[in-house]
Amino acid sequence: MLEVIEKLKKIDWFYVFLIFFLSFVGFVMIYSATSGMEYNVLFSHTMKMLVGMIAMLIIAVVDIEFWKRNAFYIYFFFIILLIWASIFGHLGKGSRRWINISGFYMQPSELIKICIILSLAKFFDEKKIKDKGDYFFLIFPIIIVLVPVGLILSQPDLGTAAIVLFISFIIFYISGLSWKFFTTIGFGFLIITPYLWSLLKNYQKQRILTLFNPENDPLGSGYHIIQSQIAIGSGGTFGKGWMKGTQSHLDFLPEKHTDFIFSMLGEEFGFLGTISVIGLIIVITYLTYRILNNPKIDNFKRILGYGVISNFFFAALINMSMVIGILPVVGLPLPLVSYGGSSMLTYFIGFGLILSLKISLDSKY
Amino acid sequence: MITRDLSNSQRIKRRSLILAAVKSAFTLVVCGKLYYLQIKNKSKYGKLSDLNRTKVKILYPERGTIFDNMGNPIAANRSDFQLNIFREKKELINRYVSKLKNIIYFSRRDYEELKKNIKTKDLSDFIVIKKNLTWEELEIFELVSNKFPFSFITKEKVRSYENNLIFSHVLGYVGYKKDLKEQKLNNLKFGISGIEKTFDKKLLGTDGWIKLETNSKGRIKKELNKKIAIPGENINTSLIAPLQEKAYSLLSEIRGAAVVIDCKTGGVNCMVSTPSFDNDEFSNGVSSQKWNRLVIDESNPLLNRCVSGLYSPGSTYKLLTALFVLEKMGFNKNTKYFCPGFVEFGNRKFHCWKKEGHKSLDLSEAIKKSCDCYFYNLAKNINIDDLSSFSNQFSIGKLTDIDMPDESGGLMPDSKWKKKNRGEKWQRGETLNTVIGQGFTLSTPLQITLMTARIASGKNLQPKILKRNRYFFENINVSEENLDFIRNSMLRVVNEFEGTAFRSRLQSGLKMAGKTGTSQVRRITKEERESGVLKNEELAYKLRDHSLFTGYAPYDNPRFAITVVAEHMGNGSKVAAPISKKIIDFALRSFS
Repeated sequence: MLEVIEKLKKIDWFYVFLIFFLSFVGFVMIYSATSGMEYNVLFSHTMKMLVGMIAMLIIAVVDIEFWKRNAFYIYFFFIILLIWASIFGHLGKGSRRWINISGFYMQPSELIKICIILSLAKFFDEKKIKDKGDYFFLIFPIIIVLVPVGLILSQPDLGTAAIVLFISFIIFYISGLSWKFFTTIGFGFLIITPYLWSLLKNYQKQRILTLFNPENDPLGSGYHIIQSQIAIGSGGTFGKGWMKGTQSHLDFLPEKHTDFIFSMLGEEFGFLGTISVIGLIIVITYLTYRILNNPKIDNFKRILGYGVISNFFFAALINMSMVIGILPVVGLPLPLVSYGGSSMLTYFIGFGLILSLKISLDSKY
Repeated sequence: MITRDLSNSQRIKRRSLILAAVKSAFTLVVCGKLYYLQIKNKSKYGKLSDLNRTKVKILYPERGTIFDNMGNPIAANRSDFQLNIFREKKELINRYVSKLKNIIYFSRRDYEELKKNIKTKDLSDFIVIKKNLTWEELEIFELVSNKFPFSFITKEKVRSYENNLIFSHVLGYVGYKKDLKEQKLNNLKFGISGIEKTFDKKLLGTDGWIKLETNSKGRIKKELNKKIAIPGENINTSLIAPLQEKAYSLLSEIRGAAVVIDCKTGGVNCMVSTPSFDNDEFSNGVSSQKWNRLVIDESNPLLNRCVSGLYSPGSTYKLLTALFVLEKMGFNKNTKYFCPGFVEFGNRKFHCWKKEGHKSLDLSEAIKKSCDCYFYNLAKNINIDDLSSFSNQFSIGKLTDIDMPDESGGLMPDSKWKKKNRGEKWQRGETLNTVIGQGFTLSTPLQITLMTARIASGKNLQPKILKRNRYFFENINVSEENLDFIRNSMLRVVNEFEGTAFRSRLQSGLKMAGKTGTSQVRRITKEERESGVLKNEELAYKLRDHSLFTGYAPYDNPRFAITVVAEHMGNGSKVAAPISKKIIDFALRSFS
């Protein structure tokens, strides 16, 4: 018990505050999205924030070595959940991605991201790269990535699968794999692209195509991007004011409390609002880099840390790019801001691991 | 092993820096796009977001109400429920209409108007799909309205006439301007005829607009701002609704006109023309089929006979001839002429209406009995140009300048007119026809009424539909003595035995003065004279004489001047005089 209090004291509370502040921004935007009327949505979101923060703190005070030891078991556990979701899961938004745990819906496909990061970090830490030509050892980590990706694709949830692949690549890259590996994968990917394209459903193809010319089909799939750009653009420098966004409150903006919450923020708080949120994300990322710059750090913690923060950072920026029309709309929430428990919990857990990692660095002399 | 390990951690560090650079670049791209959207193109996207949510609806002004002399509304407005759709969603209209056909009745006229509404673009962001929704249609639509997003019901005020046949000619009706350039607002109706046209500017009011906030589902959330429509001004007229109704009921079976003028104010108390048309139907939009039928109808229901119908004044004109010879030629009113039934002039025979003649009579008796021969004798010395300009004083041959559109000035011939229009010199024989109101002379019922009203009042009355609170008229330039003589003769026409309108005298104790007239439609040939003039009933309808009567009452304090024309109904004493009597009797009883 004493040990726990000692550890709680060592937590970087400023870092925690920034994370809390970002999720508070989310609360403020969801409040506006519901016009302050739908108390059940607000209550549910507040509860999820609380659960997430408590989970973050619990993970923070648990010794980082515990997570390293049990990384594969945890991974295995969530793979089973993922299989369960893919087969018996609750159907929503055209895919089977939720499992119902006594009234709470959970998306294993979100939580599996952390498990993959954890497992890959453990693997690349223990498996030392011997020779440049020796790639057989890569079979195991590739399986770690492709099994969940395959399951997620079967739900089907193209967006999440793409993000999981992307994050895995970053970890492969961070772990110091030779460039040859990436060029090989890149070529392979180029060769099978036409085949992958043929696998895509029509609406998915449409989404990618409209990115290049949204006005081409303003009432079809381009509609969302156009309305989102109008929302953000019309916000101007200072925004229309909290709860006063016309695009969002009159339902021109789709999915305003989940994927398009950043558009609503841009409409109501303007350029200052959007830049501030990006600034907050950059500060959190920078502070994480500083933690990971500790000379005493080992490779497991490095890979884990860069994986978690990259997952957070890229999810945020990709979400923004989607709603401002730089990347296709794939269904990815804005970390800690969008409504949605599993995604939020995943990021809180990630930050919990970083906090735990920092405590371990600070206490080892 | 350690060195390798070290080098690997070095590599991880280096790669994390590269990753940081990639992240920075990504951030810059996102920030750049945000700058482009929110700072550089703010106004563009701001406008687009306003276009998304704001819709402008035209507020049509409520047309001014028209009241009668007693303050009763005779042209008012009713609520009209209309189905509208967002203009930007006009591609939905066809689908909606084919679905709505089952619950809402669409007439051919409705389709025509809808087509027009889709084509013509005005300031409104809405298109009217259907007007005149009934209560049942409204109720059913409310039940299914969620199946028709972007459509909604509005309540407008539209013109409505209570007595839709009785006032049609004098009030006129409202409708769209034919010239599309003038029609800036799709659904604004203008006065097309009658009072509605004359006072259109006053009645119209000023339109406004309302800016509405709508959501993406086509529901109206709230009003943003608006400019209220200013209703048109109300108009008070001197028409008396019950009198109008009475006159219409008496004339409804025939073709004709009845005009009543107030001898004190010049206000028009009654103006009825039959057959009539339904101005309520006209204002709501009459189908082109029905319109065409009315236009070619030979009974001419669209014509306002009171101000545009032209008739020979017949014997009613004798009043002016008599007044003229007394006033301008120093004629001795006691002069007697003998009427054998005809007068020979030049090499022509001019016949009296009474074949056996009136024997010897003076001027007053000649008026009373309407003897033609007496007036033929007077005509022998009359200069037509003098008579013509004298008649103009009593508005015969001259516009009355009443506040109604399409007034005819009629015709009072003189030598100049003959020369110009017929290229011939005036024949003295033509004067003989003119003095008894036949020949070239044409006048409207309104002109004849005004003549009577001026004789009765001795004032230069100006007729107006609009109610005047202050009025002043100068005396007409005729001696009171001579006027009194004419008035007395008119009294004898109605109230003395052998007077042509004796059967139409009032029973109430008040006295009416008047003069009958028969307006010939055909020329009676010499052969017919010899074989016996055909009775009116024996003639084809279109050749029958018009029946005229003009008069005023009460005799000693003139209040109402009246003229009734009954087309093709023969002798004035038979039809026009009894109708006039009934109208005057009613007027005196109710409004004196």
